[in-house]
Amino acid sequence: MNDVNEFLKEMVSAPGLSGYESPVRKIIETRWRPLVDELQVSKVGSLEGLKKGSGSKPRKSILLAGHMDAIGLMATRVVNGFIYFTQVGGVDPRVLPGQPVHVHGKELLEAVVIQPPDFLIPGHTAGAPVPMEHLVIDTGLSADKVAELVRPGDIISFAQPPFELSGDTLAGHTLDDRAAVAAITICLQELQTRIHKWDVWAVATVQEETAYLGAYTSGFGLEPDLTIAIDVTHAKGPGTSESDIATLGKGLVLGWGPNIHPKWYEAFQKAADEMDMRYQKDVMPGHSGTDGYALQIVSTSRPNMVISIPLRYMHTPVELVSMKDIRRVGRLMAEVISKLDEDYLDKLDWEGNND
Amino acid sequence: MKDLIKKLVETPGPSGYEEQIRALIRSEVAPFADEIQVDAMGSLIVRKGCKTGAGKRIMIAGHMDEIGVMVTHIDDNGFLRFTSIGGVFPHTCIGSRVLFMNGVKGVIYTETITDYKSMPSLDKLYIDVGASSREKCPVSVGDSAVFDRPFLDMGDRIASKALDDRIAAAIMIESLKQVKDTPNELFFVFTVQEEVGLRGATTAAYHVDPEIGIAVDVCDSGDTPKGEKVAVSLGKGPTVKIFDPYIVSDKRLIEWMIETAEKHSIPYQREVLIEGGTDAAAIQLTRAGVPAICMSIATRYIHTPSEMVDMHDVENAVKLLTALLSSTTEL
Repeated sequence: MNDVNEFLKEMVSAPGLSGYESPVRKIIETRWRPLVDELQVSKVGSLEGLKKGSGSKPRKSILLAGHMDAIGLMATRVVNGFIYFTQVGGVDPRVLPGQPVHVHGKELLEAVVIQPPDFLIPGHTAGAPVPMEHLVIDTGLSADKVAELVRPGDIISFAQPPFELSGDTLAGHTLDDRAAVAAITICLQELQTRIHKWDVWAVATVQEETAYLGAYTSGFGLEPDLTIAIDVTHAKGPGTSESDIATLGKGLVLGWGPNIHPKWYEAFQKAADEMDMRYQKDVMPGHSGTDGYALQIVSTSRPNMVISIPLRYMHTPVELVSMKDIRRVGRLMAEVISKLDEDYLDKLDWEGNND
Repeated sequence: MKDLIKKLVETPGPSGYEEQIRALIRSEVAPFADEIQVDAMGSLIVRKGCKTGAGKRIMIAGHMDEIGVMVTHIDDNGFLRFTSIGGVFPHTCIGSRVLFMNGVKGVIYTETITDYKSMPSLDKLYIDVGASSREKCPVSVGDSAVFDRPFLDMGDRIASKALDDRIAAAIMIESLKQVKDTPNELFFVFTVQEEVGLRGATTAAYHVDPEIGIAVDVCDSGDTPKGEKVAVSLGKGPTVKIFDPYIVSDKRLIEWMIETAEKHSIPYQREVLIEGGTDAAAIQLTRAGVPAICMSIATRYIHTPSEMVDMHDVENAVKLLTALLSSTTEL
């Protein structure tokens, strides 16, 4: 199973900003092809893999969504050879100065994000974080050359390579949410040797960070009967609040709240207990901030679940996850899926018991 | 084209109350349409052409609603308190005049200003319609109004309220007239309630079920003194929207639009908008997903009673839209 580490590292070494996912989609396509019966790309670019179940037709289907898009930057203006930029998805400007980036201009350019000295920023308090509008990107090229190669709207991706830390952990950018794509891949691998009656749609969604686009559209187009959104959640670390309950490496996180069907939730809790697998419960009282929101409210709706992988330093180029947690998510989903009876939905009773 | 724009901007139509502007647009498009529908929310859906060969079903969306105000309370002396319909800012209100849908006009002012350095919030402002008491007030709670400001022709440039987004209506009407041969089935949709959350485009796109979505809207211009820092200026051509916080435009459509502009020697600008969204975002999320993009007109002073655009941009936008709709693209 260690090759999943390599796969995840390969994924987070690739760009794939929201709307520009094709580099990472190709990597996932290659990996999923032998694991699924059909593979297709949605109208807006999500990768949809179908692993057929053994139940009688018409078969019920379950959709697993992990988003493959990455947060990043986009050039807004080029002034005197320096590139000003905005964010694609939520980027914390405090972590940007000093970061290596790739500018995807007419050529791929290595570059760094720099902050001007405090006294050059109008109305700026010395020592305070520099707002994004004052940060610039330096490619080292002459002003003429930059003007020729870089235009407003060119995307800029993080260039920080992933690296393994001790304790089976991995640091890098875009582990939100390619860690989930890795978990879905583990689930597909597990299902190769198991019998499952339901069809399984593994979906690497696009543009979650900007619009939940992939979840809305695959959730509509594939007409699933059950859904799971797999995402990351803040793990305890410096600066997290007491309500951030998840601890890195201490097990996957089962979401609980209005985005989640309470009886569908129980299936995961029960399976985890039976597998003697550690899990933590995450209270999501409002919008879960995941593809799960879109999956729940699109078309006629269906029971949705949100599973999270604890992650420290979210939306920075050094997100940190435990590989153990990722493997747990993959195995738990495979267990739940293989236990789905053909009449599971008929028994999914709000009021009564589900067994 | 200025006559058409003048008619369009001077007809009131705050979000949810688009009857008058819809009737005007309907009369303008009727001679050129193959089919006209009004959906349950009030969007005007105008079809032209049928799909042949590699043609596509394309939805072109421009919103016909505009920002405005709605009365929330009338006091004993006939002064009206109001709330905003869409993004209305206090600094553009004080001293402005408003036109109610029943024809009544009023002026907006503020409670006594004690601190000239800070801007009063909307709840400190009121509308005076010249009534001496609540009983004599010619409007009621729930009545809506738009800003009242005549169309201003400055030659190359024009200024008015509601150029956001009647300028799109003008461009779409012109383009509808000019598209002669098209392999596409075109749906020119004049949407409602964009200013309060892209609502008309959401339902119209579900109904039309397009393969490609093109919104036409306004975007900030970066060419005013110490203004927005965006690389878009008046007079340098319509924009190809690449990004705003609500949409990452479809890469294939960005290429299509740029190639078409270059092929026809139409100037264009690459737009990266830091704030705001358009109907394109709603279209993209429709059903199983619709590749979508927006073409914008660089506009100064958006959401004020004196929005300003350059007529060259408007004319080039008509050319670009017409060229796009007369061709097609692979997805």
